[in-house]
Amino acid sequence: MLQILQDGPRRITRRARDYRSRTEDGAIAMHGLVGVWLLLAFLLFFLGSQWTIVPVLGFLATVGYGWVRYQAEAAKGMTFLTTIVTVAILALIISFLLLRSLPVFGQMGLDLLTKTQPAGDLWGGNGGQIWSLTPMMVGTAITTIIATIVAAPLGVAGAVFISEMAPTRVREIVKPGIELMAGIPSITYGFIGLTIVNQYLYTEFRTPTIGNYFAAGIMIGIMALPTIVTVAEDALSTVPESMKSGSLAMGSTEWQTTKSVTLPAALSGVSSGILLGIGRAMGETMAATVMLSHTKGFPTPFIDVFGGYGETLTTVIAFEGGNASGLQMSALFAGGVVLFFMVMVLSTTSLFVEWRMEKKLRGEQ
Amino acid sequence: MDTSVLTGDGSSTVFPITNTASSYWNSNPETGDEDYWPSEWAEEYGTDKRLADYFAGLYGYEATGERSNPAFRVSIALSHSGTGVEGVMEERVDIGDSSASAEAELAGSDVSDEEMDNFVDHVVGVDGQPIVVSREIADAGVEQITLDELKKIYRQEITNWSEVGGPDREILALGRAEGSGTDTSFRANVYGDPEASISPDQRYGQNQQLAQAIGQADNAIAYIALAFVDPEGDTPPLGLEIDGTLYEYGKNLGSKEYPLSRDLHAYTWEDSSRKEAAFINFCLSDFGQEIFVQGNNYFKLPQDRLETQREMVAPSNYE
Repeated sequence: MLQILQDGPRRITRRARDYRSRTEDGAIAMHGLVGVWLLLAFLLFFLGSQWTIVPVLGFLATVGYGWVRYQAEAAKGMTFLTTIVTVAILALIISFLLLRSLPVFGQMGLDLLTKTQPAGDLWGGNGGQIWSLTPMMVGTAITTIIATIVAAPLGVAGAVFISEMAPTRVREIVKPGIELMAGIPSITYGFIGLTIVNQYLYTEFRTPTIGNYFAAGIMIGIMALPTIVTVAEDALSTVPESMKSGSLAMGSTEWQTTKSVTLPAALSGVSSGILLGIGRAMGETMAATVMLSHTKGFPTPFIDVFGGYGETLTTVIAFEGGNASGLQMSALFAGGVVLFFMVMVLSTTSLFVEWRMEKKLRGEQ
Repeated sequence: MDTSVLTGDGSSTVFPITNTASSYWNSNPETGDEDYWPSEWAEEYGTDKRLADYFAGLYGYEATGERSNPAFRVSIALSHSGTGVEGVMEERVDIGDSSASAEAELAGSDVSDEEMDNFVDHVVGVDGQPIVVSREIADAGVEQITLDELKKIYRQEITNWSEVGGPDREILALGRAEGSGTDTSFRANVYGDPEASISPDQRYGQNQQLAQAIGQADNAIAYIALAFVDPEGDTPPLGLEIDGTLYEYGKNLGSKEYPLSRDLHAYTWEDSSRKEAAFINFCLSDFGQEIFVQGNNYFKLPQDRLETQREMVAPSNYE
């Protein structure tokens, strides 16, 4: 660690010297000029100036000229620029979210995430002074758990079948079919859930409301299914053929090979697929918004998924964002921050798991 | 004589009224244009002038006698109540449409009382939301409930229809999104406090979704915009009894005492100019009330309030 810290500056100076000696003076001037123009454009835009167009035109002219004179360097600069812009957009979104959620955090402190009493007044109670995200976090947790219970076993089973058992012709039809499922817009799932699932549960089982966590969880689970199948199937098919052949050569049956060699070897890839599916379920908005009842509270008992309450972090933002102002708006932004961090943790974990699997498999080859 | 464009901005609820009025005004149709200025109406006013020519003429504007060329044009923009009220105050627009009073819209901002006095409040119509129930409940004989029962239903203190004279079935209380104007005015008018805590079973963002849910359910109660009431269909209305008075759909929901009604305002700033008065009087005329207010599914002002409002902008004030 210390070594890296000490090496850092030295390596940067070396890279800089390298860049200086390998690049023509004109190209360096172009890179510098583009940077200045962009910085100027951003600043002017930020100030709301009508002169923003000047640096933008300057930027375009510089790039245009550079493209003709030093095409390679211009391409290098532009691709580098797009990377910076992507990262900058992410940074701006995060800081905007944090900035806008500061007021409610100042008002509520940690209570924002932990307050559970008084149950009826957690959202806008005490004359619009109390805004607690706890009921919505519980709602998100419940729908996500139900979705996972639906999607994880089905998804893994589907992936195993497609990758290990299905005849080629079946796989060629089923795999694109499942990928197509991911392309169906979420409102379509939501609409089916609203008109069929909600209505069925309400008329046949007399649920207290039209729409509940159970119905929404099932629909979200179906939506998360293709993510899990696709990623898990990829993981299963990257298990080296030599490992499977070895097992078969030892006299084990195909099922024994799948069960004891392929699945364990791909386990981390499969679990990263499940994690991605959970992330998808957690962030799902449209279907849940049309299906849930938008009342906030804690089901009693905790596992009463048919109960009267129904609101998640995503649905509250979608449902109330249009009308909200002041602290309520800030609380919705705080909901966005919570969601962002939860999904970020999930996808980093899944990336890490995948990275470990790749390392492990390569090591064993 | 000021003939520059009369501008307005504000509430999407009031917008249909003032905007329809402005469209009629700008087109300045001739009498006998049966779609826009029918002869029966013209006869009632005893005039053979074009529509805007007649109403502007009351205020001393000269008739142009040309279609699409009124004495002055009217342009109404669409935003929010708060924007309309601020627009009038900052004199960006002449008329500020608002579905709540200016005091309520500016509550919490640092506008002094003297400045508030500069607002001139013209009420051009009344918005009233009837209580509706699912078809099955209406068919089972529930025709009215009391205000007290309504309050208890939305606080989960009454949870079965049998408690209000209906079948033995749970009540599904439907409401609107928290923070929306309709939700706030429901709390303010029914419970007397815009911050009152209520706990409906389900909330919906739009009238359309609400109407669909009432149709799907067989045990629902809701308050909904007038246009979505269907006495013979899925959303039959329910009478509301308050202190012995029964408020019924099609009869007296527009009255000031009905808790789910609200005035629709067209504010002006520091008195009303001749131009503003001419247009507001146009909205307040019998023709305007019928076509622009009732035609857009709002309630006409009751006769006594209409008289008071008309006096504020009477042509005699501008002679």
